[in-house]
Amino acid sequence: MPSKIITAARQSGRDVLFEDESKSLLAAAGIPVVESHIATTEQEAVESAERIGYPTVLKVRSAVYSHKSDTGGVHLNLTGPEAVRQAFLAITNRARQEDPHACVTVQRMAKQGLEVIIGATVDPQFGPVIMFGLGGVLTEILADHCFRLIPINQSEASAMVRSLRGSQLLQGYRNMPPADLGALESILTRVSDLMQNYPEIMELDLNPVTVYPDGALALDARVRLKN
Amino acid sequence: MDKKLFQAMHKLFNPRSVAVVGATDSPDRVGYNILESVLYGGFKGKIFPVHPRLDTLQGLKVYPTLEDVPEPVDVALVAVNQFATVETIAQCGRLGIKAAICLAGGYRETGADGLRLEEQLISLAREHGIALVGPNTLGLINTGADFYSTFYPLRLPKGRVSMLSQSGGLGLTIMHKAADEGLGINKWVGVGNRSTLEISDYLEYLAQDEETDVIGIFLEGTEQARNLVQAAARIAKNKPVVIYKAGRLAATEYAALTHTGTASGSYQMYRDILMNQFGVLMVDSVAELVAACKALSVSTLPAGGGLGIVTHTAGPSIALLDSATHQGISVPPLQQETINKIKDVLGQNPPVVLKNPLDTVGVGFAADMYSRVVNAVLEDPGIDLLVAIYCLHKNWRFPSSELVAAQQRSGKPVLAYYVSTWEGCRDERQILQQAGVPLYISPDEAAGAVSALVHYSNMRGREKHAE
Repeated sequence: MPSKIITAARQSGRDVLFEDESKSLLAAAGIPVVESHIATTEQEAVESAERIGYPTVLKVRSAVYSHKSDTGGVHLNLTGPEAVRQAFLAITNRARQEDPHACVTVQRMAKQGLEVIIGATVDPQFGPVIMFGLGGVLTEILADHCFRLIPINQSEASAMVRSLRGSQLLQGYRNMPPADLGALESILTRVSDLMQNYPEIMELDLNPVTVYPDGALALDARVRLKN
Repeated sequence: MDKKLFQAMHKLFNPRSVAVVGATDSPDRVGYNILESVLYGGFKGKIFPVHPRLDTLQGLKVYPTLEDVPEPVDVALVAVNQFATVETIAQCGRLGIKAAICLAGGYRETGADGLRLEEQLISLAREHGIALVGPNTLGLINTGADFYSTFYPLRLPKGRVSMLSQSGGLGLTIMHKAADEGLGINKWVGVGNRSTLEISDYLEYLAQDEETDVIGIFLEGTEQARNLVQAAARIAKNKPVVIYKAGRLAATEYAALTHTGTASGSYQMYRDILMNQFGVLMVDSVAELVAACKALSVSTLPAGGGLGIVTHTAGPSIALLDSATHQGISVPPLQQETINKIKDVLGQNPPVVLKNPLDTVGVGFAADMYSRVVNAVLEDPGIDLLVAIYCLHKNWRFPSSELVAAQQRSGKPVLAYYVSTWEGCRDERQILQQAGVPLYISPDEAAGAVSALVHYSNMRGREKHAE
């Protein structure tokens, strides 16, 4: 299944997979993701939103915009069909000036939790490496993340999760319940496996992954292939 | 490492004969100094200087070309410019010389033309199976064979620590610091541009080298990081490896990683992968590198991470603790039985709180009394190793022979941290370090030494556990 997604992207001349493609690839590898549904019209967007339930998120889907939120391409917390319609128009009116094929993806607004980042890349010096870090604005400033050489096993994944300066946040602090570290470890080992099994992947970015007391979910994902 | 490469490298470090191509009579030139270096270091093999016009140099007969050298040459020391170096390597190939040390720079570090020239050098070395050090290097040293092939004439104290350096100047800094610390060196290599021999090749050689107990590396960065990590991780299980990686820049790699995918040689990646994932000890300065190598070479490994500290002045022990907070080092409380033994020495109501670190302030200056306290702390089952702090004094002697005896008696590592200049404790250093007690004169370095010992003790423990 991941091979099919990779081949399809290649055939349409893209190195960077769309969010929905990236998520399908991750889901096929057993990584929990918030599903993204493609909508090319207002009506399709509303139908998708009705089906998956509110609140909803709309994101631009275009080969031109690789950083969706920088260009007003992400609308969060849409609570009804009218909001979805307006978001669809706002996104596509802007995006289609640059890319006539631009459309949107619709996904459920995930509930709040602790945000982390999981990534993997083929480093010019080390080859395939995996990264785990705390997400959110504060931790961007603190740059609290760690690297490991791929492959990693479950106990190495566990060491990664516990090695961050802010790992106390994940293990339960004051009135915050402990996060499901097992779910994070499982995503880490599956990302490591993906990089091993599909050497055509150059970079894989799950940002953010929201972790709850029970489970974890990749809200956004991006896969880049070797060119 | 394959046997053929090992043998080629063995010859590189232990030649029976060397040719010095580019030897000259001008002390300003590299070619003069590399010949002097070989002579000054006391090389026992044959030396053949090569120069087109000179007859003798520093008392040796000179040969006009490499072809004219009448006997087999094990290693060619090549001290001519980058273009003539390529020709010399071609000559080595024709003459069957299987090892060469190329000093000249002017290759890939200068741009595209230099890179092309270096590629010629590489293909010649490969074609003829020549083990080539450099180019763009200071050379190498094997004190075990009295072989000094750098253009800095030196004599180093002999020992069982070997060093690899990606920088000549920093490699020299390490050598001089080691000499200052009374740390003997066995082999030293400036790896230069690593055209044919990578850091991991030297590392594999040193792993098998019976004269090397500890390996220190100064690293700037390598495209072969994966090989290096895998080699270092495997080797460090049996022979301690300590790596000082330069380039501790701001954490920019995350941005690079997620946005451009061209993460550069990141300090954090090296540190996380080498140290946290694979257990290879990393340090952040020359001083720490030498301190760690000295501890690992001079001392035995402790059974655990329980550190005891005995001092007669509080400040240095606090500074030591400040630096020693990582690596799972603990400063466990002393058992009641230990406290009782200490009271027997210091009196039932000493003017200090009896705890770890143990401060014998005011009453424990005398070497005899001090050492009885040291023995008591070493007998405590929670203590795995001990740092003894003592200040230089005009009238009170250092407790060196007592510390040596305490270590032998307990079988636990003892480190000395004397508050002194090296001038003030040079003889003590000799006595202590020969008997297995490494001596330091700063709290940071003593702490680095403790960290190194505990790190490799933990690693051995994990290995045993995994078996």
